[in-house]
Amino acid sequence: MNNYETLYVLKPTLTDEETASNIAKIEDILVKNGAEILATNKMGMRKLAYPVEKNERGFYTIVYFKAVGSVIAELERNLKFNEEVIKYLTVKYTKKKELAQFEKLVTAANFVKEEPKEKEAPVAETTEVATQA
Amino acid sequence: MAERRKFKKRYCKYCEMKIEFIDYKDLNLLKFSLSERFKIMPRRLTGNCKRHQELVTVAIKRARQTALIPYIVDRKNVVENPFDLIR
Repeated sequence: MNNYETLYVLKPTLTDEETASNIAKIEDILVKNGAEILATNKMGMRKLAYPVEKNERGFYTIVYFKAVGSVIAELERNLKFNEEVIKYLTVKYTKKKELAQFEKLVTAANFVKEEPKEKEAPVAETTEVATQA
Repeated sequence: MAERRKFKKRYCKYCEMKIEFIDYKDLNLLKFSLSERFKIMPRRLTGNCKRHQELVTVAIKRARQTALIPYIVDRKNVVENPFDLIR
């Protein structure tokens, strides 16, 4: 079992329900393949640094999980075929210092969920702007 | 004299902050090592130590792949406030 982190960007044109269902779908793939999800962090709608498939914005989500190496191939295959996903990146954490950082990130992601007032406030604003536009 | 150093030789900022690992999503950390045009600054100008320069290089390349920071900023692809992207 290794520690992995996957970041993926969903299309900005999706409604809130569609984004939620897509996130659920991806997590479902992980669970089915025997991965253990430690935390998910929704960074929310962000402006992309450069247009990707003619999209100027994207919905960033990060999943932290423990899994066997073969799961990654299956996950990335699914992300590739999913047309709502415009970007994805998987990072493996192996070294001691990296693992310490990984633990920190996981706890930070879980902490934000419990207390969404501080960090999630600006995120909420950006999503509002997105719905207006 | 024409080839004088534009920047003062500095100490490694990451060593000073005692950072063990640089996360590619933490753009505030990457900011020190990026030029206005989002190029990776050389070590001789920033004063980063070798270990941290290697960490930051990988982090910047990952951030570029995930569209967190641009690959290039040139006359065709102008950003009004370059560091506005990094917040």
